[in-house]
Formats: sequence, structure tokens, C-alpha cells
Amino acid sequence: MYIGIDVGGTSTNAVLLDNGLVRDSVTVPSSADIITSLLEALDKIMTNVTAESIERVVLSTTLITNLIAEKKYTPVGLILIPGPGLSHEYYQFHTDTLIISGAIDYRGREIMPLNDDEIEKAINILSTKGYKKVAVVGKFSVRNNKHEQEIVSKVKCLQPDWHVEIGHQVAGQLNFPRRVVSTMLACATRDKYSFFVESVQAALTMRGIEGPVLILKADGGTMLLNKVTGVPIETIFSGPAASTLGVQALIPPGETAVVVDIGGTTTDLALILSGQPLLSSKGAPVYEQLTQVRALAVKSVAVGGDSLVERVGQEILVCPKRLGPPFCMGGPMPTPTDALRVLGLTGVGNAKQAVEAMEILGQPLGISHSEVAQRIINSVINVIVQEIENMFTQWEQEPAYRVWEVLQKRKERPNMVVGVGGGAAGFITQIAAKVGGSPVIPPYAPVANAIGAAVAIPTLQVNLRADTERGYYTIEQEGYQGKIEKTRFTEEDALLLADEWLKKRAEKYGLGNTVSNSEINHRDVFNMVRNWTTTGRIYDISVQTPRGIIGHIGAKDGFSNA
Amino acid sequence: MHKKTGLIFFPAFDWAISPTHPEREERLLYTRDQIFEEGVMDLPQIHEYAPRLASIYDISRTHFCVPQVQNQVTEAHLIASGSILQLADSVVSGEIKNGFAIVRPPGHHAMRVVHGNRGFCNINNEAILVDYLRRRHGIRKIAIVDSDVHHGDGTQDIFYHDPDVLFISFHQDGRTIYPGSGFSDELGGPGAYARTLNVPLPPGIADETFMYVVDNLVLPVVNEFQPELVINSAGQDNHYSDPLGSMRFTAEAYADFTQKLKPNLAVLEGGYAIETALPYVNLAIILALAGIDYSNVREPDYYPGKFKESPEKVAQVHRMVEELLKTWNTRDQVDFSQIFGSGKYYQRKKFIFYDTDYINEQQLEQVRRCNECPGYITIASRARRGNPAPVSIFAITIPLQACQACHSEAYDIYDQAKKKPEYDYVYMQDKYTDKYRTYVKSKGQELVTKGLVENAKNYSIE
Repeated sequence: MYIGIDVGGTSTNAVLLDNGLVRDSVTVPSSADIITSLLEALDKIMTNVTAESIERVVLSTTLITNLIAEKKYTPVGLILIPGPGLSHEYYQFHTDTLIISGAIDYRGREIMPLNDDEIEKAINILSTKGYKKVAVVGKFSVRNNKHEQEIVSKVKCLQPDWHVEIGHQVAGQLNFPRRVVSTMLACATRDKYSFFVESVQAALTMRGIEGPVLILKADGGTMLLNKVTGVPIETIFSGPAASTLGVQALIPPGETAVVVDIGGTTTDLALILSGQPLLSSKGAPVYEQLTQVRALAVKSVAVGGDSLVERVGQEILVCPKRLGPPFCMGGPMPTPTDALRVLGLTGVGNAKQAVEAMEILGQPLGISHSEVAQRIINSVINVIVQEIENMFTQWEQEPAYRVWEVLQKRKERPNMVVGVGGGAAGFITQIAAKVGGSPVIPPYAPVANAIGAAVAIPTLQVNLRADTERGYYTIEQEGYQGKIEKTRFTEEDALLLADEWLKKRAEKYGLGNTVSNSEINHRDVFNMVRNWTTTGRIYDISVQTPRGIIGHIGAKDGFSNA
Repeated sequence: MHKKTGLIFFPAFDWAISPTHPEREERLLYTRDQIFEEGVMDLPQIHEYAPRLASIYDISRTHFCVPQVQNQVTEAHLIASGSILQLADSVVSGEIKNGFAIVRPPGHHAMRVVHGNRGFCNINNEAILVDYLRRRHGIRKIAIVDSDVHHGDGTQDIFYHDPDVLFISFHQDGRTIYPGSGFSDELGGPGAYARTLNVPLPPGIADETFMYVVDNLVLPVVNEFQPELVINSAGQDNHYSDPLGSMRFTAEAYADFTQKLKPNLAVLEGGYAIETALPYVNLAIILALAGIDYSNVREPDYYPGKFKESPEKVAQVHRMVEELLKTWNTRDQVDFSQIFGSGKYYQRKKFIFYDTDYINEQQLEQVRRCNECPGYITIASRARRGNPAPVSIFAITIPLQACQACHSEAYDIYDQAKKKPEYDYVYMQDKYTDKYRTYVKSKGQELVTKGLVENAKNYSIE
């Protein structure tokens, strides 16, 4: 049996899956302490089963999201090696940032050496300012990590007790500013994450659960709950990923759907294209700062069931904030939920109070309470429908760098508009009508996120870049750089090497035999020609384990492929 | 918020002329690395657009492809060309302040008649853009400044008789580099005199004299011409490390030039120092267009004072600039009958060599001299490629600004040409009605592209 738990901002959901069916689900209110909420939900869901029957547990938590949102971490100092390029004034990361001279180019060649005095000086300055955490990031460090390594050994030597995080190990893609943010956040959250992991592991051991425990990532994949491997910030925004995966498990395979998760103050939108959740083409933005965290493409719209509704002049506006629960549930101001109540689209709250709420807004304008309610619902729906349209256009407008990518561009619109979350029921029919899909509120919609966690599987990627002229290769996800041993290193060899690394990574993540069938994401081969002769090749190869979920809820054979 | 700079980056990582050709997959690889690692696409001043395909129809508006467009272009060409049209739409709509198409394959050597690939080009992206801007957006007066080390002979050929296109090309002296043209006496036809200006630079010229040409010739002439839109054919092979050129420009100078010219659209042309120049030049141009400080962009091996120019060469360029400026300033006081004769037609004979495809073409181009409009142009062209029998075509192009008399005269000529046995194909490019015809002699069939059909994939048969 599988357990999935989603610790959200207001409530914590848990489900127990048994051979492809939801055997039980519970919801408890979230408390200030994530571990408390998590264990409360876990204990409730386990009331009728034995610990030995639990094959695995997957968690989705707001731990990292909250840490970063509330800035509940000790400050991180930055040592950067940006070299020539964009003006250094652009590197503003709201923390003490020391810039060291030195430069590596796009092929990993050193074009400017480091300066030892500068490094020592930088460490001293950070030390005087009281920093004990530092992120070291160089431009093009993913092509050659020599400079980053040198600085780190200097820090270790002068300040052995500092916690240091290194750019190339955290964020392997090209994009220096995003690498800086990712590394800084990784550094900031690592110790609190480790503490969380230890606490959870201890609690589970105490309950006798011996199956693997995993944590959900922003891209809908999982990683083993282990304080050493993985990068904690990859678990940020796992909530929307959990809901999306939940919907994926609750609808038939291969569907194109939009997932509408309407909560109290925000509505999260995600796309499932031909059965597969859409990944964001770039890394996730974390509170205005861009990172390299791989994430599902999720759009958060600042409207929900509890949004404040106000009259401004002749207009009735839905504002992007919450002052409390809906008026019909004892709240201070009118909300869209009150409007739903008046129109009979929801059963929550007190009908009389809902009418009163509409009258507060309508009377000065001389319009009836039902018309006010209809206007409010229309404006909420319009905002959401517009954002759905934007998401599709944005997906269509994604840049393409290869001829085949441009030619295979397609236009797709959802067959299904799937509502999950508390506020979905009243809105989903009208949204679907406007988008042109059929409205679906699946069974277990309120606990879709916990189901999503339960069905998530690990996804691993390996991006290999081999430069045969320079005779070395790098593995993006591992921050590894190594020598190419063969003299004639072909495309076949590069593919084999990438596969080998995928297996290695799988072992490291405790997945052993799951990578028998790897998928090639892309493979680019570049002939290097210098002075009219071919001097080498650059291979850019990306392989991954198949994306997906354990299975669909209610599928005929249960989770046969698990 | 200030308007953004639009970028389309289309490196065509799966397209090459041949595996070892300079126009191969690798060309923009290091540029990709540099601009991605710098996080350029994330800058608030930048908006990255997706590429799109130009239609066969967009190509027919500009070129006579022999026998048909489909025979001369690959999908990569349509994407490069279409990307530029995408940026043009966004500039004209006011969505962005300017745009840079870092795309391949390039186009500025492609002439109006296309028998094959020359100078790595099949179709002329800037010319397709101009015809599109006119038809789609009603923009008429356009300046094109070509900063490639090679003379932009294709663009010059297409606009030689167009008084509403100012074409300025500065490049390495044609006696020392492909395509061997672009001398200062190539000034445009009788109806567009001095709207073509060429500044052949002696090899070895560096930033200082580059800026002298820009400040003293390019900018004043462009300003006086008062174009509605400025296009830069942003070839980057004037860079000091380019393997094909012998000039000494730096990335910073390219950016300075961009900042001064303020083109609405810049289009990548040549540039084959794919490691030592392109990553830096492209980055510097992007930043300059977006109004971002580019002073920290520099080539690893560059230091100020690295290049010394020869005083004789500098003086030679100064004299040429003075001459050209004089020609420009007195362009309306010239006695055209002395230069061009006074016949009903002005004609040029051209021998065109297609280096990539090894084709020899002979052309007779005649422009109808008309007081009411720029006049239609007819081209009789014969091309031989290897052993097969040569192909003969006859083509007529009617400008958008054509007068009624020229319009109907051109159609009479078209009908006569269709009957002549010597032409395998007869073309009518009617920009006035936006209708493009090909008459295939062997089949006795006329193919027509008509109307404003979006993404017309094929010709229809009328």
C-alpha cells in the first residue's frame, strides 16, 4: 500500500492507495509545525493498517516554500566570479556580494586566473560581517569548476566551520544569475531541511515503517528523503505539482486537460498535454528571483473563494487579497463564495448572510443581489479563463532552436477542465464552457494533492556535454567533469556514457533497476571545424527515466506497472 | 516601463550547408552558451520571441526562385526569414522598441533572381522584410545599413532602382574579398541615384576609422534620408578575429555603432569567428539595442591599443567619405542623361557567380524609366550549373509604387514573353496587386500565388 501526504498552508491531506484504489483519505487542519501536521495525518491514515503493509510514503510539504517566503534562515554571503560580460552592477542579490576576478569561457578554458589576495580578503570581509554560510558561484563554472573548487578549499582552510554551497553542484544549466540564486537558496535551506529529514525519519522508524520514504519535487518527480543527496530547493512548490499529478491519476491517460485548483486566495493553473504535465521551459521563479529549479508550468492567479470584493465607484472589483472568511461564514467582507451561495452554486455558509453581502455592494448602485453575484462570478471566471488562454499561448510561443522543433509546434486546447481544491465546484462548469472543454470534478478532488504525492515516481535526468577537442565531458546534474578516455569518441559512445551516468544516478537515489528504459530528450552533435579541418565534436545529450505516475486510480489491473 | 528589445534566437542546431561548411550547426553554439549563461533572456529589458515560418508567398513577393520557391529554400530558410517578419510585426505594433534576429542561414548575397546558393545565401531576409513591411504595414521609406565584411551585393541588386530604400554598405575592399563588388561608384540606377552608397575599406582598418565612417557618412546620410524604419544587416565578420575577413573591428565598436545607428531591426548576416567573435559581438549588440551597459563585454585577448591603423589607409578612407558625402549632397543636381543615357530603358548586363553551388548566370536587366513611378524592371537570365542544359528565364517585377501606364505595359511584355520559345520560365511579380505568377513553358501552365493568404503553402493553378 502507498501513502501520499500533502502538507498545505491550511490543511494537510493524506491518502492510502491499495492496488490502484483509494482505500482511505483524511484531512486535518495544518498547524504551525509541519512535522506535527504530517504525523497527525499519517497516524490517522494508518489507523486500520499495519506498518509492514506500507510499501512507501511520499511527502509533499511547504517546508522550503515557507522558509524562503518568510526568510526564516540565516543570511548567506556570496562570492562570485562573473568575469567579463554583463556589467557587475546587475548582480544585485540583496545580500553581501563579493566579486572576485577570474574568468572561465564557454568551453571551460581559463581566460583569467584567480587572485589569492582577493579571495582571502573576501572571506575576511564576510567573516567580519558575521556570515557563516557562503555560496560560491562562477560564470561558466558548469563547464569548468576549477575556480569554484579553489575558492571553496580556501574557505574550508580559513573558516572550517562555514557551510559552503558551490554553484556547479547546485545548478548545472547555463544561466549564471539563476545559478547564483539557486545556490544561495540551497545554502540557506540545507540545515533546516536536514533537521526536517532527521525528524521525519525518526518518527517513521518509531512507527515501524520500513518502506522507502520520498519527497515530492517541483517537477512532479520524487527523491528519497535523505539529507545528503539532492538539493532541498527542488522540493519548493511541490503543492501545485501534487495537485497536477493527482489529476493526472484521476483522469484517463492521454487526455489534454487544464487543472484549476481554486483555493481561498489563489487559483493555481496547470496543463496536462496529451496525458503529461507540462514542464516550465525555464526554472521556477522563487519570490521574484529566477532560479534553475525544474518545475511544472504552474500559473498562480491571485483570486480565490475568499478574495475581498469591493465596490469602487460604479464598479464591483475582486481584489487580490483576503481579509478573512466569506461573509456568509462570519467574515468581515463580501467574497466570491458569498456570490456562489446566493446563486445556489455552493452549500457552504449562511444563505441570508450571503444575500446581505451582495446587498452591501449592490444597494448603492441600485442593482439586485443576484445580479451582483452574477457579476462577481463573471469577473472571477474571466480572470481565470484569460490566464488559461495565456498559458496555452505562452506554451505555443516557447522559443525553439532547431528546425524540427519549429515544425512540430502544435496548437492544442483542453478537452477537460478539471477542478480541484475547495472553491472549484461552483466555478468549474462556467470556466469549462468558456474554455470549450468539459467540466470535470473527479472523485477525491479535495485530496487530489495527496493522491498526486502517492502516485509520483522518481524522475532522473542526465545531461551530458562532451567536448572531444578538449577531451573532457560534464554531467550537468552531478556537477561532474571528467576526461574522455577513448581517442575516437563517437555519438554512440556519448549515448552509452550518458546512460551509464543515468544508472549511476539511479543507484545513488536508491532506484537501482528502474532505468532499464531510458528516453533520449535531445541529442545535438556539433562538428568542430578549425581552419577547414574537423578537429573534434561537441555532443550535447540529454537522457531521462520515463516521466509519469505509478498508475491511474481505478485502472483495471490496479498499479500493475509499479 | 520602457519598451523592450525583442530577440529571436534561432541557431538551427540541426541544419548545415554541409558538415564542414562555415554555415554549419556549430556556428551559433558558443553564442548560445554566452547569452544563456549571462541570463540575457531573463533581463527585464529583453523579450524572447519564438521563431515562425515565412510563407512561400512572402518569398515570391521578393524573389524569382528558379524554377520555384520550393526548389530554393529549406525549412531553415523559411524560419530565419519568418523570424525577422515576426520581429517586424512586433516593432510596428509598438510591442517592442527594436529587435535583433540572431538567426541562420543568412541572406544578404541573395539577389532578385535565385538560381542557387551564393555566399552562403539563398533568399534575402532583409529584402523580404522590406517588401513585407510595405505590403503589410504600409511602410515605404526604409534605410538598410550593411555592416558585414562582405559587400551586401544581393540587397544592393534588389534595391538598385528603388528611390525609397537607402542602402549603405561598408565592407572590405572588393578587390581583396568575396564577392568582388561594392565599389564607391556603384550608386544606384537613374531613378534611385545615390540611394546606394558603398564604402570599400582597405584591409586592416580598425575601430577608429570604422567610427569615422559611421559618424561622418552613415549617420548624417541616414538622418537626412528620414527613413520610417532602419534595418541593420549585422554581419560580424569585420571582427579582428574573423577567418574570412581582414578587418580589425572589436565587439565594443560593433556595439557603439549599434547604439549610434539605433536600428529598429538588426539581422545577423555573416561572421565566422564562431568562438572568438560571435559570442562577444552578439552579446554586445543585444545589450546596446536594449540600452544596457556593454562596457564589460570584451574579447579575452583584446587590450586597448592592440591595433594600429596605417595613416595612408586612414587618409584614403577619409577622402572616400568626403567624395561619397559630396555625391550624396548633390544627388539631385546630377545630369542623369550623362551617366545613364536618355533611352526609354536603362539596362545593365550582369555576370553572377554562385560560389556555393557553382553556377554561372548571365543577366540583362532593364528598368523602364518613368517620370511617374520607379518603373518596372525586366530581367532575362540564363544560368548554367554543371553539365545539364542551361536554364533561361524572363522575369518582370512591377513596383508597389507603379503608375497605371507602367503596370499595363508590364503585363503586355509578360504576355509576349510567354510566347517566346527561348524562355523555360516566365515570371510576373506584381507588387502593386500582390500577385505572383510563374509560367512553366514545358507544361504550358501558369502558377499563381494570390491575395493576402496567410502562410500560403503552395501555388495554385489558374
